[in-house]
Amino acid sequence: MKKINYNDKGSILNPLKNLQFYARKPVTEPLGPRDASASYRGFHINDLNKCIGCSSCQKICDNAAITMVEVPSIKEDAAKGLRNLRPAIDYGRCCWCALCVDICPTSAIEMTREYVHTCDGDETDSYFIFPKETGIHGDSFEKGWTKTEDSDLLDRIRRPMGEMLSEARIDNFDEIVDGFTLEMAVQEASRCVDCGLCEDACPAHMHAPNYIRSIYEGNLEQAVEWMYETNPFSHVCGRVCTHICETACSLGHGEGESDPIAIRWLKRFAMDNVSKTKIKQIARKGKARKKSGKSIAVVGAGPAGLTAAFDLVKKGHKVTVYESLPKAGGMTRYGIPNYRLPEDRLDQDIEVIQSVGVDIKYNVKVGTDISMAQLYKDNHAVVMAIGLQMGRSTRIKGSDHKMVVKAVDLLRMIPKGDKVNVPKSAVVIGGGNVAMDIARSMARLQQQKYGEVNITLTALEQLGKTFLADDEEVKESLEEGISILDARGPKQCVIKNNKLVGLETVKVISIFDAQGRFAPKYDEEDLQFHQADMVIEAIGQMSDVSILGEELTEELEWNRGRIQIDENGHTSVEWLWSAGDMVKGPDVINAVADGHRVAKDIDRFLNK
Amino acid sequence: MSKHKEGHSKSYEKLKSKTTLKEILDVAVSFEKTARDFYTAMIPKVSKNIRYIVEELAEEEQQHYDLFLSLKNDPYVQTQLDERIKTPTENHKFSDYVQLLDLGDNPDDQTILQYALAREDAAMKQYQDLADNAPEGELQDTFRFLAIEEAEHKLELEKKYYEIIHSGGPGN
Repeated sequence: MKKINYNDKGSILNPLKNLQFYARKPVTEPLGPRDASASYRGFHINDLNKCIGCSSCQKICDNAAITMVEVPSIKEDAAKGLRNLRPAIDYGRCCWCALCVDICPTSAIEMTREYVHTCDGDETDSYFIFPKETGIHGDSFEKGWTKTEDSDLLDRIRRPMGEMLSEARIDNFDEIVDGFTLEMAVQEASRCVDCGLCEDACPAHMHAPNYIRSIYEGNLEQAVEWMYETNPFSHVCGRVCTHICETACSLGHGEGESDPIAIRWLKRFAMDNVSKTKIKQIARKGKARKKSGKSIAVVGAGPAGLTAAFDLVKKGHKVTVYESLPKAGGMTRYGIPNYRLPEDRLDQDIEVIQSVGVDIKYNVKVGTDISMAQLYKDNHAVVMAIGLQMGRSTRIKGSDHKMVVKAVDLLRMIPKGDKVNVPKSAVVIGGGNVAMDIARSMARLQQQKYGEVNITLTALEQLGKTFLADDEEVKESLEEGISILDARGPKQCVIKNNKLVGLETVKVISIFDAQGRFAPKYDEEDLQFHQADMVIEAIGQMSDVSILGEELTEELEWNRGRIQIDENGHTSVEWLWSAGDMVKGPDVINAVADGHRVAKDIDRFLNK
Repeated sequence: MSKHKEGHSKSYEKLKSKTTLKEILDVAVSFEKTARDFYTAMIPKVSKNIRYIVEELAEEEQQHYDLFLSLKNDPYVQTQLDERIKTPTENHKFSDYVQLLDLGDNPDDQTILQYALAREDAAMKQYQDLADNAPEGELQDTFRFLAIEEAEHKLELEKKYYEIIHSGGPGN
């Protein structure tokens, strides 16, 4: 580019050049507007149904020309990443740069070829418009500037996560997922538009946009600080969270191929690359210096119980957690296999929680070794967070045979180091993630003992439609040689000469009625026999509420089999709160959110 | 044979011997009353966390009792029976694969629901058999109507069974 000499003042005769116009006839341009070019950046339109209210357009506008306004008639759904906000544009500020169009994840906002608007006197408000599908004047105008692949400001493709090949992982419980490198993590973090839909959707409202930005900036300790504001189980969630945040992510809403940010893997990356010592320092931040003199007992050392304990200790209270099993973690240890969640990572999360002052007593079964009444006597409040540790049985014919076992019982044995009876062939009944966990765990044990896998999984639900397990679980199970037979209902366990020989199933034609309620229809003529030395039931779980004792059970109010709680987890008994899977259903991040809720309410109660 | 099955054999013979619509409805009303009283008596005996199941079963049997009683006393009974028989409920047989059990002293939620399912199934089959064997007319229509009512109740119980037993509870 030619260098401009800014000191050059030009010739002294330059003003005389204007004399050339003195004798020329004036030219009048016609009053009517000329057609705009095909890619003109005119007034905006917005497809209100495509728009998800992510506010990316507002954030990118350098002129602050866009304001997000609430539209009450639009339904919000945080879990799906839908806000009831829509952009309004101030044309007194807009410079028509089209950055809002180019950043829009759903291509909802576009520009037309319309560019003429006049107003008179006090009508300047007419420059502030709420774009809809029709333009500024309610007419339809041809589209002008539209985002193309080249102009799209978003990086829509997720960095792929490597994982161990099936032949390498089938005979061990080593973690399957490779994890991000620094380069991959920074690239993945750079895709984020900081819309905050993930934070809204997360039950614990983790500050995902903040820690993603910290990762992008290379400040991993800052990222972990952001995580610990809301989640002391970040190692666990970085591996096995149900990632509702990713479902809500604005990039996942795009047309065509558009992947949500890998928020879970980014969390994993940051946690794995900050030292344990540093994490403990971070976890201790904000801990009250003065002891409150109040004490709380927590029953169950799973995510809900330990999160509540963590928060309460930081508030200055004394907390003792009672755990019936030899180690803490609940279903994260005794339900989720090591290849998904390595024990040492879970141990780290728990060690950090203990380092702030949470005391855990192991191998103590409340209801047997110590009563609820005693816990209340020794403390100011009690939290019940015992999870759903008991498995349900189908109770079909033959299911009382000793070789018909429950998935949760087997899954508990593996990390405990108990000797597991590994059958040469097994059938798993159930199509949820627990069924997948036990099928894949038994497949590994079979490969180790017999050199081959012989596992069949049968489920009422249909693959690709109503199947309950995660897609990646299904994919990986099939890679590992597990046979999945969907749309089959268990009819009976077949016993011959007192020996279990297999499972008989019947074809399921449909499973839900028009209202979405369970109403299976069967084809009685389509029966199949599946040979098996063991049948494993993974159809559902329940809580062992018998530990409450008869008196407390009668005193409590119940809600259809679960302890009745208010929005803060407080039961009908003044000193008792309940949290986690036993009241809300199975999910780690919900359990963490519950733990926070309960801790906040107990603290409020104790400070009354 | 369990007490449960014995009871049903006796009731089948009892129904088979009836020849008028009023007599059939009298017996049906008394069956529902027996069931309602059975569940009502069970309420204080089961643990409070699952008591709602038995309370709901007692209420459902009460509703059936009220319906059959009102039919018995209604001069337009025949019209109502015709209406119901035109839209029979499909029998999905889910409960067929769930075993019949004795309840025991402290039944859990699954045992109670299995019992209720088995009872509805047995009642439905009972009325269906009688309908199949009855001559065309008022009697057959009555049996068909009763079979449909029991089938509907069974279907609702199957849905409840799945919600409670298969998915970790109604909270999911």
